[in-house]
Amino acid sequence: MNALLARHRAVLLAYLGMIVLLLLTSFVSQGFLSGSHLRTMAVLSAFIGIVALGQTFVIIGGGIDLSVPWVLNCAAVLVTLMANGADGPLIYAIPIALAGGALVGALNGFGIALFGVPPIIMTLAVNVILQGGILIYTGGAPTASAPPLIQFLAVGRIGPLPVVVLIWAALAVAATLLLSRTAFGRYLYAQGTSATVAEFSGVPTLRITVLAYTLSGFTAAAAGILLTGYTAQAYLGMGDPYLFTSIAAVAIGGASILGGSGSYIGTIAGALVLTILTGLLPALNLSNGALLVVYGVVILVTVSLASDAVSDFFAVMTRSFGRRDNAQS
Amino acid sequence: MELIEAVGISKRYGGIVALSRADFRADAGEVHALLGENGAGKSTFIQILAGIIRPNGGTLHLAGRAYQPANARAAEAAGIAAVFQELSLVPDLTVAENIWFRREPLSPIGTVRKRREREATLALFDRYRIPAPAPTREVRRLTLAERQIVEIAKALSRDPSVIILDEATSALPPRETEWLLQLSQDLAAEGKLVIYISHRLAEIRQIAQRVTIFRNGATVATHDTAAVDDETIIADMLGRRMDRLYPPRIATATDRTALKLRGLSVGDRLADIDLDLKEGEVMGVAGLQGHGQRELFQALFGVSRSRGAIEVWGKPVAIRSPRDALVGRDGIALVPEDRRSHGLLLSKSVRENLTLSVVPRFTRFGFLSRSRERALVDEQLRTLQIKAGTPDQLAGTLSGGNQQKVIFGKMLLTQSRILLLYDPTRGIDVGTKGEIFRLMRDLAAKGYAILFYSSDLPEIVNVADRVAVLRNGKLAAILSGDDISEHRILREAMVEARAA
Repeated sequence: MNALLARHRAVLLAYLGMIVLLLLTSFVSQGFLSGSHLRTMAVLSAFIGIVALGQTFVIIGGGIDLSVPWVLNCAAVLVTLMANGADGPLIYAIPIALAGGALVGALNGFGIALFGVPPIIMTLAVNVILQGGILIYTGGAPTASAPPLIQFLAVGRIGPLPVVVLIWAALAVAATLLLSRTAFGRYLYAQGTSATVAEFSGVPTLRITVLAYTLSGFTAAAAGILLTGYTAQAYLGMGDPYLFTSIAAVAIGGASILGGSGSYIGTIAGALVLTILTGLLPALNLSNGALLVVYGVVILVTVSLASDAVSDFFAVMTRSFGRRDNAQS
Repeated sequence: MELIEAVGISKRYGGIVALSRADFRADAGEVHALLGENGAGKSTFIQILAGIIRPNGGTLHLAGRAYQPANARAAEAAGIAAVFQELSLVPDLTVAENIWFRREPLSPIGTVRKRREREATLALFDRYRIPAPAPTREVRRLTLAERQIVEIAKALSRDPSVIILDEATSALPPRETEWLLQLSQDLAAEGKLVIYISHRLAEIRQIAQRVTIFRNGATVATHDTAAVDDETIIADMLGRRMDRLYPPRIATATDRTALKLRGLSVGDRLADIDLDLKEGEVMGVAGLQGHGQRELFQALFGVSRSRGAIEVWGKPVAIRSPRDALVGRDGIALVPEDRRSHGLLLSKSVRENLTLSVVPRFTRFGFLSRSRERALVDEQLRTLQIKAGTPDQLAGTLSGGNQQKVIFGKMLLTQSRILLLYDPTRGIDVGTKGEIFRLMRDLAAKGYAILFYSSDLPEIVNVADRVAVLRNGKLAAILSGDDISEHRILREAMVEARAA
């Protein structure tokens, strides 16, 4: 039991933090815990959570995906342009956009695993290339509005539950199974812990890396399509906030940013914490600029609290006072 | 009064007792050996001396005064310098920068006086005749042996009165080992205390006046080295387990060739190796450090690119990556040199480490079967007698010997019948060494073909059926039967053949 607690301590901390934050916010802001408001937050969390899904896989594998903003943006623009406000073309528009996202991800993976380009450079470059490409393609003009079906997916409900949250839940189950119950998951953790040991153990490192980035491209594209439904149309720059939030959600969820550990359950908590924060801060009546500053600082503090570095620091501190030691020799 | 007096030192980690009652007395002017199996508490004890951890009980005196260092810096200030097995150098800094790390000679405006630093380094090298690499070289480009020497130089730079050497020769080639043995004696002659930890009895006999033996966290005995025989020392270390270190060498080789090399070359480090490894054979690979052994093993495991022909069980193969080598029963498995950075995921469980190479064996319809994985793990834990609390214990918390057993288990699970063992007993206690040698003979009897390198020559002499000696990347000789002796191997490894 103790061991179980220790292993999942980071995730438990994230959820505990989320609950504390929720209660805190409900004090500051009346009506925060109302059904409709909670539903809105769940929907907003879903967008972060879906982008962060692929990011979770990439980070566990020891990489990072900085191309999510414009993969998301491209998918959104592509789908709305192809559909042009009608549901009919979606039958091919959605698969094309998702496949495009996956393809860009695969490209990231090949560049990193096959040609040894550092993940930061590879994905950052792809992000900029996509940004430029889409500017050329659209001429910078706003695109057509989202077709009704996509709007339904993003803001519609089945019973009391928003559709997008149901989609998120299904993806979460799949992600958790993939991480904990499949060879792919096992290899991913091994590779993130030590690429050399994984290589020496016969892990198919090229395939694993490509798969992880492909998944990230896919979920970024999926989030882009769904987000158009929420904002009613695609616009340039809509993906930009998701770079920071997708990485922060993974880190708050207890994953090591250096790879080898983490879980999607944790990332979900991370997405929720980030959404509640964005809800809490406006209630403090700050100016827009001050809001951003506070937001950044709060995320910084949260992530460092959740990260190993801080728990290591505390472990060292307690050890130097000779209270509780961890077995190691 | 002796220089160091430790009485009844104990140390617990949670429920695990690392030291229960360690007594240790050593005097200035001697080389004092500290012996014990891995997990006997040697490392814990010297970490206490070096101020890295604090004991739970017992008393410690240094030169007659109570000694309780608050941290490593306090221990250094008290004149105790330790060279640990895990090296602590910064890869991106040069040799000189590492030696004077955080003690750099500074100019009035706070910049490092590079030239003075370099001169101080050279003076240091000169004073102790240190066979060290140039002060300006980056540590990341050094071999393991060179790093070990830099580490020793760093300890010496503090001019300590007590110097602790933990397995320092395990990474050193013969000539550097000689230097270190001589240095230890010189330091003792200068009136310093050298605490020397090694698993090599011959070295201890050569330089140590006294030897203290730990077993299961307690001191068993302190002997005058000259007055005690090997059997007594080993008996003290092992307790009642008095097995012979080397198992009887029963020839089990058949006529079948497991691995056939023709003209194998790697860059300019290994040239034109022709070798036939038989089914059921243990073949030793010997040579001075850096004469191609590493390249040979790396090429066969697909880590280095090679030219020439490789046949495995009669079939030509191309091995471009470890994945090409690890192909089940007809594959080639490697127990690598550096178990901490090539062999094990230290922050993952024993279970995950053991099964990492055979995940498909317990995967059904894409999903892992926990029960089938558990069966594989239990089998290995049992047959290799791996001492882990549970299979979910982290590999990094095991003793060196048990870590090595986990790597063996991982490779045995792949079912590859050709095994490459690169220095598998490095830094491992006598008991586990014996177990590993017996395992090698058992596997050979089952038809495995084993290629075996050791940095400890007597191991090759006593375990291998035949010995391939490398010199300058070429095959100098293949010795068998009575020709296998340390003397003969060294001669082949060092002396160019006379013109025939």
